[in-house]
Amino acid sequence: MFKKILIANRGEIAVRILRACRELGIQTVSVYSDVDRTSLHVRLADEAYLIGPAASRESYLRIDKLMDVAKKSGCDALHPGYGFLAENAALPRACADAGITFIGPSAEAMEAMGSKTAGKQLARRAEVPTVPGTSDPIENPEEAQALAQAMGYPVLLKAIAGGGGKGMRVVPNDAAFASAWRDAASEALNAFGDQRVFLEKYLVGPRHIEIQILADAHGRCVSLGERECSVQRRHQKVVEEAPSPVVTPELRRKMGDAAVRLGRAGGYVNAGTVEFLVDADLNYYFLEVNTRLQVEHPVTEQVTGLDLVKLQIAIAAGHRLPFAWETITPRGHAMEVRLYAEDPDNNFFPSPGKIISRHAPTGPGIRLDEGVYEGWTVPMDYDPLLSKLIAWGNSREETIARLRRALDEYTILGIRTNVGLFRRILAEPEFLRGEIHTKWLDEVLSRPRPPAEPSRPGTEEAALIAAALWHNAQSNAPASGNTQQQAAPSRWKMEGRRQQMDHMP
Amino acid sequence: MKFEIQLTGAGGKRKHVVEFERDVSAVSLDGRPVDADAIQIGPNVVSVMLGGQSFEFHISRSLDGTLKLRCGQHEFSADLTDPRAWRGRKHGAVEVEGRQEILAPMPGKVVRVLAAVGNAVEAGQGLLVVEAMKMQNEIRSPKSGKVERLLVKEGQNVNAGEVLAWVE
Repeated sequence: MFKKILIANRGEIAVRILRACRELGIQTVSVYSDVDRTSLHVRLADEAYLIGPAASRESYLRIDKLMDVAKKSGCDALHPGYGFLAENAALPRACADAGITFIGPSAEAMEAMGSKTAGKQLARRAEVPTVPGTSDPIENPEEAQALAQAMGYPVLLKAIAGGGGKGMRVVPNDAAFASAWRDAASEALNAFGDQRVFLEKYLVGPRHIEIQILADAHGRCVSLGERECSVQRRHQKVVEEAPSPVVTPELRRKMGDAAVRLGRAGGYVNAGTVEFLVDADLNYYFLEVNTRLQVEHPVTEQVTGLDLVKLQIAIAAGHRLPFAWETITPRGHAMEVRLYAEDPDNNFFPSPGKIISRHAPTGPGIRLDEGVYEGWTVPMDYDPLLSKLIAWGNSREETIARLRRALDEYTILGIRTNVGLFRRILAEPEFLRGEIHTKWLDEVLSRPRPPAEPSRPGTEEAALIAAALWHNAQSNAPASGNTQQQAAPSRWKMEGRRQQMDHMP
Repeated sequence: MKFEIQLTGAGGKRKHVVEFERDVSAVSLDGRPVDADAIQIGPNVVSVMLGGQSFEFHISRSLDGTLKLRCGQHEFSADLTDPRAWRGRKHGAVEVEGRQEILAPMPGKVVRVLAAVGNAVEAGQGLLVVEAMKMQNEIRSPKSGKVERLLVKEGQNVNAGEVLAWVE
């Protein structure tokens, strides 16, 4: 096993990896930029080194600096987390050159599976279904129509030179094909000077369902089941859950087998995720491979009872996966929401700043993976993910109830967060029925917002009393620096004493 | 203690008078006594018992002096008039008297300076524009007076809480 691991990341994922290392008795080395000196991943690490200014390009993305720190501090392995350099094949290469173990797939597997086109070719070879269509343009409309009939309507016509929706037509049925072809071709010619068009099956309201795979260096590759990530805002995942409300044991086995075939074909080692689009008839089509740990990995951990980060480390250290895991099935239900420092009333603009006060939810079935604390200033330089709130329970209903309860407990002052968005999602009848697809949330957000739940009788009166009391305590506080930082209760005592003094003759 | 409070919430905007004894006993609301008990739990947390109903508020003060209160998913803002404040009777918050330090509300970059040293400015007049994550925020003068010092230049990066200017 490794003695010391360099964590080439920041924020909640760096903290997550640190914790796994600590449980395994492995020393940790963090790196930080100028603005991250006070960040949690620096505070919790055994060692931490400054690697440059705030801009990622000059700090967290500098392979040379990471290698310097790794060598200087005597690390024998490096964990990239997600984002930053996690899917950059230059990092495992640099690690290999420096004699440091990269906790993740090989550079070759990353390149063979990571890019969309290479991944698709590999999927075809491994007989994993991809979205049916032609990658080459079709010259002849009759030939194209025959193909469309073969793959089944609706189909999508796309200009080869296309972009921005120009030269794109959805064809609902055979009768509409000829005119749609003419429109798409002439629009493509006008817009791009190139009338060539290709054909793809059009998926109506597809779900995004992904399979977590684990592969060791000894040829064993297993599936840990699926995650449903269909609730997305502009292609960004917002809510993730496991298991998916629509995946049957049979479909889970089929998709798991396909993902494992793909992993084997690419010579994949370590944790990876194979993403699929799933249509209304539960046909699944390969989308892409993420050659790293996913943000949403905790939902898989909660329903399998496994610690994926520790397993990544064990696999990198050459350990074998147990045979019994080939038939792992999810138990219970888990759901994750991503809390961001962003303002839902202002088009989800990032809202960095100082966290004045914070109360984190606890209790049964609640897990909070985060990199924030009270008094910390959320820097404006990075992704504003604050916390991942994960709930699990016996059923989807219990899990949602726990998540709602935890969101009500979660209070953060000083910055705006998207907590309200989750309250809204978790109350939508379609979401509760599991009727979701990748465009669902964008549709929901374009509808008028439902009226806010009325507050309990007495809330306004109580608010008035609270405001008066707090203001009174604040204005009696000693006029030094930031009064909000001071311990409060004593001020009441002081005020009482001061006023008693006033009454003294 | 007597406070005039304008409370804004989902139910609209209303003015109320809260009065309590010095030891926070005998609370009255708009002149009628209420069965209430309030206690500060932490620096920004107040617990209120109102006729046996338990409420908890997380409170912070925004830059213009308004109090922001949060109770579960409900938010209120409160403008207080403190009878003890002899001057600047608008808010009990920041005394807009004497020299004012203008602080950066968030980390960001100064994209425009709208006033020069020596300029006379009105309360609420823009002094600088600070950009954070593609959002531009105008920093306004809290009082009428004269710009005494400008401590930042256009294009400069600033941290939250950094002094940007003095208005005398």
